[in-house]
Amino acid sequence: MTQVPTRPDPPTDEELNAYIVTRYALLGIDIFVLPESDEDAPMDQERLLENARSILRQDVTAADFDIDPQFHLPVPHPAPFTAWTEEESR
Amino acid sequence: MSDTASRTEVPSRVDVSAMLNAPQDVRVSRRWFLDRIAWVSSAVATGSLLARVPVSASSWGPVVTAEAFATDVRLQSVSDLTTLTMSESMSLIRAGTLAPEDLVNAYVDRIEAFDGTYQSYADRPDREDLLAELDETPVDERRSPLRAMCLVPKDNFYTSDLLTEGGSLVFEGFQPDYDATAVTLMRAAGGLVVGKGQMGNLAGGRARVYGTTIPTTRNSWSPDDVRYSPGGSSSGPATAVAARLAVAGIGTETGGSVIGPGNLQGLTCIKPTFGRISLHGVIPLSYTRDHVGVMARDAKDTAILLQVLAQPDPNDPRSLGLPAAPNYALAATAFGGDRPRVRWPTRIGIWPEYLSDDNERVNGLRRGFISELERNPSVQIVPDVTLPDQWEELTSDPLGGSHGDPTAFFIEHLRKDVRNFADRLPRFLNGMLQSADTYVKVQQARNLLLSRMMTQLFNQCDVVLTTGTGPFDGTGIPLMCLPIGFDTDTDTGKTVPRGVIMAAPPFGEERLLAVAAAYQAVSDFHRTFAADPA
Repeated sequence: MTQVPTRPDPPTDEELNAYIVTRYALLGIDIFVLPESDEDAPMDQERLLENARSILRQDVTAADFDIDPQFHLPVPHPAPFTAWTEEESR
Repeated sequence: MSDTASRTEVPSRVDVSAMLNAPQDVRVSRRWFLDRIAWVSSAVATGSLLARVPVSASSWGPVVTAEAFATDVRLQSVSDLTTLTMSESMSLIRAGTLAPEDLVNAYVDRIEAFDGTYQSYADRPDREDLLAELDETPVDERRSPLRAMCLVPKDNFYTSDLLTEGGSLVFEGFQPDYDATAVTLMRAAGGLVVGKGQMGNLAGGRARVYGTTIPTTRNSWSPDDVRYSPGGSSSGPATAVAARLAVAGIGTETGGSVIGPGNLQGLTCIKPTFGRISLHGVIPLSYTRDHVGVMARDAKDTAILLQVLAQPDPNDPRSLGLPAAPNYALAATAFGGDRPRVRWPTRIGIWPEYLSDDNERVNGLRRGFISELERNPSVQIVPDVTLPDQWEELTSDPLGGSHGDPTAFFIEHLRKDVRNFADRLPRFLNGMLQSADTYVKVQQARNLLLSRMMTQLFNQCDVVLTTGTGPFDGTGIPLMCLPIGFDTDTDTGKTVPRGVIMAAPPFGEERLLAVAAAYQAVSDFHRTFAADPA
């Protein structure tokens, strides 16, 4: 019997933090030189991770944005492709 | 309304003479601009723009024209040379009644007297270097119309003779070996760079001590109280121009960084259509959203500097293949005698809730501005324009954002030491976390928004009075600001200027300048200066 997919629970802050620091480490970026939590510092790990989590969660909003797959911008006329298709000479 | 419906359809009967005299926003195909912006989105991936026409076909606009020179100014009535506008100074120098070195010395005197308080400059040349440069400038109004004009570029414009640090530890000590194209054009026209304007860290926020949250540049209207912001990120140029430490300047705008500080300091500024001014030699933030903007004291000076800078540049494909720049100084010349008219019949739209600001004094100033426009026989006010479909969704994060853009340019700097980015670090790291799916949708949404702005907003009006810059910066649409009165800041008790933001369709610079010039012909807020520091 085939299992019916269910929407997974949203990741926790801790799970996202692990993902974020792994991603940065993969790219060779060390964020642990920042103070862990210091509101007087221009930036700290706590604020950086909080911001990063919000960016990741915004990805869901973007994914949910339903753009018409047939949408295209109006093309100037004559369009540049007419030179290839010889449309104008037909 | 259909997204493919467009006001750009050729009408069945065209009045050719009317079209030839029309401003550029109605002479340029809006479909063509849409197509071009879509190509710019693609160019992010390829690193270049496949120009639709050969470089050699790009048109140069006119050099500074006769209308740039003021016709009614007398040196005898001027007690301080730095109160002259650029147009007035150019005219007096041409007439031989103002010695160029006197003008330069007047500006350097003020810089030396007051910039210790204002902190508007990051790096600047000596007086002797400036006077030597002036000596080498040709005495030729056609080749060097800006001779002796003291100008301030923001510190993200490369300068071969001054540090370019971008307000940041990331570029501390950086000395480029060439000038940004915009700086080259200013200098080629005879302008003098009297200093590099301090700026917010990597073009974000107000200017601060590098790597800290300690503010530096003061607002010219609040030199003794650091709490009142000079605006950002073009903080230094805004203060320098407003405090008469420079006659005009250039900033950059990705999200309000010219218009914002301009309004906070009572300046008249323009952020032109995307690509109108080359970005070559500017520390980048976003390939698809960065603009160079002009910061000055009135519409005419804004037009003059825009004219000098609006040229095609083979080093920046985004500036190529555009229609030649029109005569901006003419557009910014009020005409019509005692009751100057906007040069072209213009419908001016009012943003929804434009008169519902939390500050009732601001609402009163806006009402006064609209009333003055209504008295102009060329203007038709369109109250409460309707916004394009899905406006909120398309202009808010994440679809209205640009998270991926800055990251691409800075990976090596991020690996070197993230602490150098200070408070701006999230902006530069976020792109690492954004999915390709999101980035594609952001680009699609941007094109959809621009399409709808042209078909569902600028079908109602030719200029719109608005309260924010984000959607216009994101789609490359021109913006302008100008002062409309004064208010009292509740935190500091200071008397401070208030301004308006106007937007127009692509290549609507002439239209914006014409509205600003007509208003400034009957108002004097742009001629009111802040008191010097005690």
